Amino acid sequence: MKLGVALALITTSLAGQEVFDVLLKNGRVVDPKNQRDGRMDIGISKGRIRKIAASIPSVQARKVLELGDYIVAPGLIDLNANFGPNGVDPDHNELRACTTTAVDAGSADPSSFASFKARVIDRSKTRVLVFLSPGANADAAATVARANPQIVAGFRATGGAPLPAALSEWTAFGDGPGLRPGDIQTRFYREGGTPEAARGVIHDLGHGSDGFRFRVAAPAVKQGRLPDTISTGLDARSVMLPRVSMTNVMTKMMALGVPLAGVIERATSAPARALRRSDLGSLEEGGVADIAVLETRAGNFGLLDAGREKHIADREVRCVMTLRNGTIVWDAEGLGVTHWRDAGPYSNFK
Amino acid sequence: MKVASLLIAAAALAAQPRYEILIKGGRVIDPANNIDGVRDVAVANGKIARVAANIAPSEAKTVVDAAGLYVTPGLIDLHAHVFGYSGSIRPDDTALPAGTTTIVDAGGSGWRTFDDMLERVIKPAKTRVLALINIVGHGMIGQSYEDNVEDMDPAKTAAKIAERRQHIVGIKTAHFGGYGWAALDAAIAAGKISNTPVMVDDKIFTGTGRTSKEKLLQRMRPGDMHTHVFNDRQLEVVDRMTGKLQPYILDARKRGVRFDLGHGGGSFLWPVAAKAIEQGFYPDTISTDLHSSSIMGPESDMPNCISKMMSLGMSLNDAVLRSTVNPAKAIAMFPDIGTLGEGRVADVAVFALRDGIFAYKDAWNNKQIGANKIEPVLTLRAGELVFDRDARAFPEWRKVAR
Repeated sequence: MKLGVALALITTSLAGQEVFDVLLKNGRVVDPKNQRDGRMDIGISKGRIRKIAASIPSVQARKVLELGDYIVAPGLIDLNANFGPNGVDPDHNELRACTTTAVDAGSADPSSFASFKARVIDRSKTRVLVFLSPGANADAAATVARANPQIVAGFRATGGAPLPAALSEWTAFGDGPGLRPGDIQTRFYREGGTPEAARGVIHDLGHGSDGFRFRVAAPAVKQGRLPDTISTGLDARSVMLPRVSMTNVMTKMMALGVPLAGVIERATSAPARALRRSDLGSLEEGGVADIAVLETRAGNFGLLDAGREKHIADREVRCVMTLRNGTIVWDAEGLGVTHWRDAGPYSNFK
Repeated sequence: MKVASLLIAAAALAAQPRYEILIKGGRVIDPANNIDGVRDVAVANGKIARVAANIAPSEAKTVVDAAGLYVTPGLIDLHAHVFGYSGSIRPDDTALPAGTTTIVDAGGSGWRTFDDMLERVIKPAKTRVLALINIVGHGMIGQSYEDNVEDMDPAKTAAKIAERRQHIVGIKTAHFGGYGWAALDAAIAAGKISNTPVMVDDKIFTGTGRTSKEKLLQRMRPGDMHTHVFNDRQLEVVDRMTGKLQPYILDARKRGVRFDLGHGGGSFLWPVAAKAIEQGFYPDTISTDLHSSSIMGPESDMPNCISKMMSLGMSLNDAVLRSTVNPAKAIAMFPDIGTLGEGRVADVAVFALRDGIFAYKDAWNNKQIGANKIEPVLTLRAGELVFDRDARAFPEWRKVAR
């Protein structure tokens, strides 16, 4: 009788609890938007974060990832990349660096958008958004943007000219003057420094081939002049030398003195805000499971800037694992897979 | 007068370093020249100018400290996909940062489409991109095309090879789903006319009449190569019941048929590779079959494939041989590429050999745990610095004179 009661108690303690597809266990969760920074477990099912709590029992998950050595952050957001003909392929350059959302900065215009969508956006696991080049016909541009609100995040502004009136409701993304509050000015630490911008303009790092010089950035960081958002400016050149990526650019900012939490904020919640995408850039119960698992590693790391000059860092940020929509899409340490000797038979191979 | 002009020339030489790049103090592994030891490697005009025990730093414009690192010929990936196939990748940002300076596109183009590949992929790339053209005239663009015997024309294929001999190094036949030996025979016929090797990926044995792996290998000529050697079904290198090497594999090897790794998304399985290597059967050439999905899951670029071979007991030197000299020989490009011999093109890779615990995933996403990892550090392609992980070739920003 007594045994019966005890059994009933045990079975009821987990009764009705959800079974998760994946449980991220014991990681240091850094989620700046929600001011989380501490050990927490995250349960994921069907591509969504279902539960974030101090402790979720392992029995509740089909796959448990022990992340005690690592940092668990929202999937990184790269505000400035190029996926057109002079750019790079998104997945193996972005997902491998824990970036789950990347914005193409102007490769497509209204006439090429459909083919860009078919060739790049629809074929990538990375969530690819675009700052569309306006092209010659502002009305056509507005039509494309309205038809694709989940993809078109704004318009690429070239030179100092403001966007045409027909596009004024969207965010402008550029590097010249003439930007309004809420618009984004990129290439923050370029040679010669950034031009004056109106108050409330969002400053983006935009490393690329000419957007980041240590000799500009180091004194600026010392004076507290930091970009609001950290991005790669990736293109076909900068992917080779200096081989930029989100983790590379984050490493550079840390090397200049920005603390890890500040760097993660500028790579997650801040770009989400700049994109006006409250559904991205943070870890929310019910939200999409785009997740970065990072580590910082001590050593000597030579970092190259856009002017082919280096800075030696003693710590680097490294991407260990990337989950996009709840699926492991990058797993540098093989944490999510079984050893082959324990994996059972291979097809009919004994 | 003569003495004076010589003195002036000598002074000019002193002011103008004779080498562009000097890779100093690395352990050079150059199997072609039997070198395995600490050497300096000097590069000028895109060529290996000198390999010697001690070359003065003052003789070079840029000095790269490679102490503790390995210096090898740029790797040659005999099987990758950069054209035609829907999973094709761009060569430069995938190959060069991996220490791979030569990529062979395996059958993406056929005689009808090769010129398009030449313009759109080969010419713009910094990576040396060569081609095994598909016996299918349209190339590797889908099953219905690859099954079409009508589009397999040995004469036209051989004619395209003759026209573009500096770029096309052989023929590929893959994925043929039709009945009989038509695809393989057409590829070999083209190989005979053009005097080039054929790479075979004969995938489908069910309902094709091609039930005997022995017969398949017997049709291949010495110098022809079968890729995907550690797949579980294609060649069945190791008997699936007994775990023993198949005699027909050893017979074929004895005859000069080559076996290529061709890792890819479905063709490298730990139990097959482990059992084969345990019995001394190494792939002749290490290659990736790199495409958009295999680069993410198994991460099977050249250094990854080398690390995997090492985790099964292959030595680094042996792996370098099978990633440089052997693939160069397989496509009759040796010693133009695949060696650090003086006077050869300066395609150079620098690697770190790390000790630790590293997970390596096979095509079925199961892992092996290795104690070593080969990590690319720096790459030269024709003497140009194209990858430099640690910025070793560059000055610190604080020390640059303004």
